Parts: sequence; structure tokens; C-alpha cells
Amino acid sequence: MNVAEKPVITADSLIGQRIQKKDAPEKAAGKTRYIQDMIVPGMLHAKILRSSRVHARIRSIDTSAAKALPGVHVVLTAADVPDQQPIGVARDHLPLKGERVRSLRDEIAAVAADSEEIAEAALKLIRVEYEDLPVIATPEDAVKADAPLIHPAPLDADGKPKTVPPKTPIAFAGKADNIAMRFDYTHGDVAAAEAESDVVVEDTFQLHYVTHCCMGVSGVIAEFDASGNLLMYSNTQVPFLHKREFAEYLNIDPSRVRIIQPPIGGGFGSKLDIYPFEVICIFLARAAKRPVKMVFTRKEEFLASPTRQPVLLTLRSGCRKDGTLTFRQVHTLHDNGAYTSWGATTPFVMMQTFSSLYRVPACDYHTTVAYTNNPYAGSFRGYGNLQATFAIEQHMDMLAERIGMDPLDFRLKNAQEAGEVTGQGMTFKSCGFRECLTTAAERSDYRKKHADNLAHRDAPGPVKRGIGIASMLHVGGGAKIYPSDGCGTILKLDDFANVTLITGASEIGQGSETVLSQLVCEELGLPISAVTVVNNDTAITPWDVGVHASRTTFIAGNSAIGAARKAKAKILAAAAKKHGCDEATLDLRGGFVVVAETGEPVVELARLMRNLHFSDKAELVMTTFYYEPPSVHQDKAFKGDVSAAYAWAAQVVEVEVDTDTGIVKMTKVTGTHDVGRVLNRLGLEGQIEGGVVMGQGYALTENLIVENGVTRNPNFRDYKLVTAPEIPEMDITFVESMDGEGPQGAKGVGEAPAICIAAAAANAIYNATGVRIFALPFTPEAVYRALRGKAEKPHWEAWQPE
Amino acid sequence: MTGLERYAAPQSLDEALGILQQGEVTILAGGTDLMPQTKAGRIAFKPTLMNIGRVAGLKGVTLDGGHLRIAALTTISELLRDPLVAQHAPVLAEACDHFASDQIRNAGTLGGNINNASPAGDTLVPLIVLDAEVELASKPNGSVSTRRMPLAEFFTGPGRTKRAGNELLTAVRIPLPKPGHVARFYKFGTRPALDISTISIGIAGIKRDGALTDTRVAFGAVAPTPVRAPRTEAALEGRRLDSDAIEAAAGAARDEVNPIDDVRASAWYRKELIHNMTKRMLDHVAQA
Ligand SMILES: Cc1cc2nc3c(=O)[nH]c(=O)nc-3n(C[C@H](O)[C@H](O)[C@H](O)COP(=O)(O)OP(=O)(O)OC[C@H]3O[C@@H](n4cnc5c(N)ncnc54)[C@H](O)[C@@H]3O)c2cc1C
Repeated sequence: MNVAEKPVITADSLIGQRIQKKDAPEKAAGKTRYIQDMIVPGMLHAKILRSSRVHARIRSIDTSAAKALPGVHVVLTAADVPDQQPIGVARDHLPLKGERVRSLRDEIAAVAADSEEIAEAALKLIRVEYEDLPVIATPEDAVKADAPLIHPAPLDADGKPKTVPPKTPIAFAGKADNIAMRFDYTHGDVAAAEAESDVVVEDTFQLHYVTHCCMGVSGVIAEFDASGNLLMYSNTQVPFLHKREFAEYLNIDPSRVRIIQPPIGGGFGSKLDIYPFEVICIFLARAAKRPVKMVFTRKEEFLASPTRQPVLLTLRSGCRKDGTLTFRQVHTLHDNGAYTSWGATTPFVMMQTFSSLYRVPACDYHTTVAYTNNPYAGSFRGYGNLQATFAIEQHMDMLAERIGMDPLDFRLKNAQEAGEVTGQGMTFKSCGFRECLTTAAERSDYRKKHADNLAHRDAPGPVKRGIGIASMLHVGGGAKIYPSDGCGTILKLDDFANVTLITGASEIGQGSETVLSQLVCEELGLPISAVTVVNNDTAITPWDVGVHASRTTFIAGNSAIGAARKAKAKILAAAAKKHGCDEATLDLRGGFVVVAETGEPVVELARLMRNLHFSDKAELVMTTFYYEPPSVHQDKAFKGDVSAAYAWAAQVVEVEVDTDTGIVKMTKVTGTHDVGRVLNRLGLEGQIEGGVVMGQGYALTENLIVENGVTRNPNFRDYKLVTAPEIPEMDITFVESMDGEGPQGAKGVGEAPAICIAAAAANAIYNATGVRIFALPFTPEAVYRALRGKAEKPHWEAWQPE
Repeated sequence: MTGLERYAAPQSLDEALGILQQGEVTILAGGTDLMPQTKAGRIAFKPTLMNIGRVAGLKGVTLDGGHLRIAALTTISELLRDPLVAQHAPVLAEACDHFASDQIRNAGTLGGNINNASPAGDTLVPLIVLDAEVELASKPNGSVSTRRMPLAEFFTGPGRTKRAGNELLTAVRIPLPKPGHVARFYKFGTRPALDISTISIGIAGIKRDGALTDTRVAFGAVAPTPVRAPRTEAALEGRRLDSDAIEAAAGAARDEVNPIDDVRASAWYRKELIHNMTKRMLDHVAQA
């Protein structure tokens, strides 16, 4: 256990206060300049020609007419960039496709022109001849023995597979099957545990496509200077990883790549990978010798940005009559799409939920990620956990029902506690799981409503009420998926005691600038307005692994505190020297160096700073700090304490189901989150509310309809985000478990709030109607079909290659 | 990159009809259909774009003898707030309350909704069950002439009407309701605002002694145009609204419509909704 003492909050402490986000006035006033608003002198505008076939060989591409159009500067196809390198986790993805297209989003040609209109017109002049290939529309088809290959090995002149040197990327060497990745994890003896079970349930769950729908669509500006240095204005969430990767693709020194991030209009994981459009924009800038800007249309954003990973998941779970869980066995089939991005690696997170959300003696987890001709999946807030939680939390209710136990009691009986080391090697230092469960249940009156709803299921009237609970576990102290999970800070104080906080951590709307400022001010006794944050230029900011895994408050927060404490030590030592007292008796408060015990001012901080600066031994207060969390990289068997802390939550969802229409109205969400400690209450509430709504969309309304590789609803008319009047009443509370490693005791919470909603909604619909639905989303028609017994229950036989 | 050559913004009806008479004109009212549709390439501008927004006398709701007259440029927001509409055609206001969002309601006009001729246009079904007629004006030989036609006969297909190229829709006329008149509208969308009707239902009639006469039933989004439902009307006409009659009418409604499958709903589900919601609406009418 590693739990910190909760300090008494003094009147002037910023911790736990409601602090407005630093960028709120700019955004509310419409003054924020996103990449869409940026104009770089001399820049050209770029557009991409995408495939009009789902799966086809490219016979020929004719760009002559496009090149001849006045105002067109560059037209590129794969043939023009023979040096292009594959991108993506599996190196299976060439930005420009020359021989074959594998999905409708595939990039065939790109144009840079004087205006977007001209670039658009040029695209229409490009002629492409295709030869259609059979389409693989589902992962079930992809893993069949005789399935056509999505990435076949290239053939030599005699039509035989070309021999390539070992370690050649898939993009050049091909792949002998359609399996992009596999994950196999086990702890305990599943067979023995199953034999000891009184009840076993097995079901297949089906999870659908959704996409991020960032209000700021994807965009990039690339520009080379006369010495060949690349400057990019990019919305990326991982500038330092990208710097290195772009250099690799361009075969230049990484130090020649500089990335500046303008304010980012939403990320949610969508900007965690490198995408073809970014590389293509660089190629265009290189060829045009001019800055080139490329911004997606909304339709393009729907068609060509990544999705959440669709999953077929067969889960077997067992327990004893007394309510003890015995085992879980999980087989999942992931639809990778045509290329591999981070979506393929979501099993890293999914298996944590199966192995460790509850105490389960045996767990066996297998994932096959299969290539198809569908859009490809990337990372998305929750990273597989929404899918895993959807299955596991329905089974918790089902098992409880089978043994006649209250679903809340059943969860409490198996809930993790602080001090527990799970089968997967996760060590729960601070853990407020039980308190989350009991608090959310009490505040929502879960037990009584659950019983009442059951009693009223068959009462007359079409509208039935339901209540459902679900819980979650997610990393809350970073995630060591790279050799380092660290973040650097540079901090300086000026002559007026204002602080510039230079952090590697990117702001993507989550409020990191505000919370980091708060943590620094807490150390230095300054108001939040005294801090300026610089966080968007790789030439200035110190290294950070990126904004993901709910890590920024925790990791960058600890880093900022580290730098601030060094500054404070330096300041107090200088003050002590100058004023002839013991530095241990001093503190910083309200812009003054004070006597810690009495609060009596010793010297105004700004004055002290000036004294330090303008003296014979002139000195400035500038510090650096690098924080690396005490987590470990998982071993090959996926075991290890991957995060420095873990976050917990329980959410209760209440619904009204209209059985005449299938409309499910979410009336209330009661959520309790173990956040370690509340830092910025306003920011935290905003984060939770936004996450709940994202979870609501996943559960009820959002559905990217992909049929035979074709996205049918690439617009906000038919892709239904939740609108304001649909947002349920929310009752959000926090458990402060005071994590010993966390900044001021806090843990990460960015992804957590979206995770439970779909699972809890499923349980609520069952409570209301007695019908359990195993496939998302719960759109009115899907629910209506299920209520009328006309929904096919998903079924997938656990599949293993021989 | 469009065929647009000329923009006209006439101030009077006479002037507008003169421009129309020259042919090859696209009419612009609120633009909430026209602009997205031309942008998406679904329809092309004619050489002249005529903004009718400044034409005098095309706005507002008045009483005209035994009729409520709603001029073509009246916006959805104005319909929602209008006291005459609230008094004489509350079902139209109810439909407007499920229409788009405030921004669109402020710009979108009744004339635009009718002439866009979408099978899912939300004012069309209530207007049909209210026996509304459209008023069309033209200036074929130097002087203005108008003709009227029942709205139920106006539509010929998605986006197509019987309006001639030289005609402007100037107003909609609704006979003032007789005593005992009831009217109901239901729109099924998957969310409370900003949704295109998956189906919509309008029911009206004179309720006396628990039975409906002069029954009107119309459905939206189940056919290429909004449609009257004669068999459902017949099943109701003059019958006491008991559970048998209601079930018979709901059944007739389900059998009578012939919707399609699309991204929004399957045909089967649309038929189920028509049945269930016709029944629910009739239950409410019976209980009222
Ligand atoms: C986001 C959004 C949501 C929407 N939601 C709904 C909804 O919920 N329900 C619904 O029914 N509609 C909806 N619409 C469609 C649209 O807003 C309505 O149909 C609106 O009433 C159209 O009116 P307008 O004045 O904007 O028409 P315009 O776009 O100006 O015109 C539409 C068509 O009618 C023609 N026209 C216009 N006025 C006349 C006239 N007086 N005489 C002859 N021809 C004319 C035009 O040439 C054009 O072909 C929505 C649109 C958007 C963009």
C-alpha cells in the first residue's frame, strides 16, 4: 500500500478548488486560432484523392490533366516517392498506394495547389483504373482458411512470391495470413477453476464502430526551410514520438524536425498515430518547396480518421454459489481494418479488466486481430476498456442473478482492495473501489430501485424503468508501454515572480495547463494567474511520451511539482542567506517568503527575485526536472505493474425504455470515481461529464455504419452524437484515496468516465424489460427488435489458429 | 464552378414573378435546404439565383375569411410563436416544435419546407390532415394570376411538385377548424431535436360521441411523398374509438404503408412504428 496522508487544506490552497481553465476565455470568445485558422505566407493547399474501390489492384493512374490545371503546383502518386517508408505499428502501411488499395480511405494521389478549390478540381481530373478484388468485410471471413489475403507477398517477374530479406516490413514483404496481431495471456488454472464453479455462463458480445468526432478535424502544415529542416504545425498528441518517426520516414536527422502544436480541437486518442495525410503533406511540401497545408473536410474526417476497435468477444465466466468468482475465459476477434494502428493493441488494456477488475483466481485471454477491407481502428479514450467492461459487467449481473445474489453484493464480494497484487502483476497501492461501489449505489438508491423496477416489469404501460450498475479499473498513473513513461519540465521565475512552466505535456482540451499551473502555484505560493504555460514546441519543451493513457496530470504533474520544489528550495535558501534565518523555517505564501510557523512576511518574492538577479553574483531561478514513474514494462506474458497507480469507478445508469418504439432514454447517471485526490474540481467535473456523454453516445446513439467496406453515414445527420437535451442528469462524486505516488495524491481520470456507461445501460435495460442485449449500440430499432425477440444473438466460436 | 450567372433580390411580388417568367431561376428562401443540397452536388443552381427574402407581403399569418393564411416566407420559429396558429392550427405548431434546431428554425421557411418536397418534411403531414391548400402565383402574360391546389395533391415525388417553373408559392391556406376538431402529430426521430423523421403521423377529424368523422390520416417518410392513408381513414370514419376500432385502424395503417430500408431504419421497423404510434395517438384522442 502506498497511500498519502491527506493534508488539511488551508484557506489559500488551490487544491480541490474550482478553477476555470486557462484557455476558457479565448475559446469561449472564439479567438482561439486552430490549425484551420492558420495562414503561413506562401502556403499551398493540399487535397488527397482516395480510392473509389474497397479492394482493388490499381491498373493505372493518369495525373496529366490534373498537372496541367492552372494553379496546381504538385501532383504526387506512389511512383513519385519511390523512397516512401511504411508507417504504423506493424509497418504495413505505405502513405501513397501504388499497386493496390485495401479500403475506401486509401490514398492514391495528392495535389498541392493555390487554393483548396483548385486542388479539389484537380482531383477530379485524375483518372484511376482499377481491377476489383474480392472484399473481406468481416474478421470472421478474414480468418477462414481460404480467405484472400489483404497483404499478399509481392510477386517477382515469374509470378512467384519475391524473396525478401528478413525483417522486411509487411508493406514490402506481405503477410501469409490475415492475422495482424495475437495476444495470449493466462494466470491460474482455468480448467480446475471451472470444475469448481457452481455456475458458468458463456456469451458472445458484439461491439461496433464509432469514431472520435473531434470538433477540430485533422490537419497539418508542413514546411522545409532552405537548409532542409522540417517544421510542422500539427495536432498530434505525441510530438516527441512523431519527431523521431517523421525523421525516420524522411531519412533525416530527428533534430531537423520541429513540431509546433497549435491549439488542438480535441484528440481523444485519434491523434496518437502517424497517418498517411501527414506524411503526404510533407512529401508535397518537399516537392513544392513551399509550405503546404492540408485540412480534412468533415466527411473526410469520418471516412479517413481512425475508429474505435470493433470487437467480437466470447466470454465464459464462473462463480461459486457463495458468490466467489472462479474464472474467466475470453476469446476476442478484432477487426483491424486494412492497416494496423493502435487499435490493434487495445488487448493490452482489455486483458487488465478481465484479469484484475475483480479478484479472479484464473483468467485466460486470447485475441486475434484480423485484417479486413474496412476502415482501420486507432486508439480511442478507454482503449479497449469500454468493450471489455461491456462484456464483463453484464456477466457480473448474469452470474449474480443465477446464484440469487444482489448484483451489488456480488461485486463487493469480489472487489479489489488496496494491497492486492493481481494475477497480472498489477499492484493496487491506493484503491477506493469498494467505496465507489457503495457510494454510487447509495446515492442512486440502487438496491431499492432495482427491486422496484423488477416488480413493475409487467405492469401495464409501454414505458419501463431500469437501473444498472457497472464498475471499471483503468491505469491512473501512466502506462509504461514504451521504455520510458516520463515527462520533463523546465521552470523559470522572472523578475516579477511570474512563472513560465515549460512542459512536455500537450494540451488537447483536457485542462492540463490549468492543473499543472495549480500544482506549481501550490508549491510556490503564487496565484494561478502568475503562471504562463509553454507546451507546444518540440524545439523548446522537454521530452514527454505523449498525451495518452490518462497520464498527464499524474506524470507531468509530478514533473512540474519536482521542478517547482527545486525552485522553492533555491528561493528559500537565497532568502535565508539574505535575511539571516534558517531556510527550514521559511515558506512561500501569497507571493511572499514567510516564516512558516507564523505566516509573517520576510520579503516579497518579486523583490527577492530582483535582488538575486541584479546583484554582483547575479542569479536567475530556473530549474528542470524529469519524472519517470516507478512502473515497469510488462514482460512477454503481459505481466508487470504497468502503471504507478490505478483508477477506479462505479457508475449507475437509469433508463426509461419505451417498448413501443425501442427508445431508451438515459435519465440519470450517478458516478463515483476514485481520483486519488480532487485537484481542479471544475476541470474534473467537466472531464467526467464529457466522458459520460461520450459513453452515452457509444451506448445509445453513435454508430459508424460500415457495410462491405463502405461507410454509409459519414455526416453528423446520420452519425448521431448525443445532443444537449439528451444528456442525463448527473450526480458525480469523488473518492479521495490519496495515492502515495500521485501529485498531491491525485490519479489519472481522463478515460475513466466513458468506460462503464454502455455496460451499466445494458444492465439497466435488462432490469427494465427482462431482455438482455449483447450487441451495441442500443439504438431504438435494435432495442425494439430485441424486445420483440427479433434480434439475432451474436455468436462466435472461440477461435484459435492451429 | 457553378452554373450561377446572376443574383436577383426583388422587392415586390410583381418583380419576382417577372424574373421567374424569364425562366432558369433557382428560388432562395431561408436556404437551409438549398445551400446544403447544392454544396453536396445533389442539385445544381440554375443561371439565376433569386432571393425572395425581400419580397413584400410574403410573410406573416392572417385570417382570410374562413381560412388561416400563412405566407410562404413565414419561418418555422414564427409559426411556433404565432397566436393565430396556436389558436386555429396548434398541430402545426407542435410539428414545428420537433423541427431541426433554433438556428435552422429561424432561417427555414414554410414555403421552403413545402417546395423542398421531402417525404420527411415536418410541416407537410400536419398541413395535409388540416386540408391545407397551396397558393401559386405567376405572371404568364404581363399580369399576376394565382391558382390553388390541395397540398395533398401537390407532391409528385421526392423534391418534385406540380409547381410550374414560372410559379412562386405565395401562401398556404387552412380552413378554420369546425367545432369538435381534433388533430395530432407524431414524429419519430431518435433524438428530441435535429433529426430527420424516420416516420411521422398526422391524424385529424371531428370528434363527436367518441367517434371521428371527416377523418384525415397522413404519413411522412414511408413513401416518395407524404401520403394520405385512405384505408386507415376508412377504418376510422364514423366508428366509435374503442380498442377494436383503434387496433383495426393501426393494423390498416401498417398494411397501407410501403416504406423502404435505409440507414435510418428498416422497412419492417417503420411499419411497426406506424402501427404502434397510430395506436398510441388514437388512444390519446379517444381519452381526450
Ligand atoms: C440541420 C438541418 C436540420 C433540418 N431539420 C429539419 C427538420 O427537422 N424537419 C424538416 O422538415 N426539415 C428540416 N430541415 C430542412 C429545412 O430546414 C426545411 O425544409 C426548411 O423549411 C426549408 O426552408 P428554407 O426557407 O430554408 O428553404 P430553401 O432552402 O430556401 O428552399 C428549399 C427549396 O424550396 C424552394 N423554394 C423556397 N421557397 C419557395 C417558394 N416560396 N416558392 C417556390 N419554391 C420555393 C427552393 O428553390 C428550394 O428548392 C433541416 C435542415 C438542416 C440544414
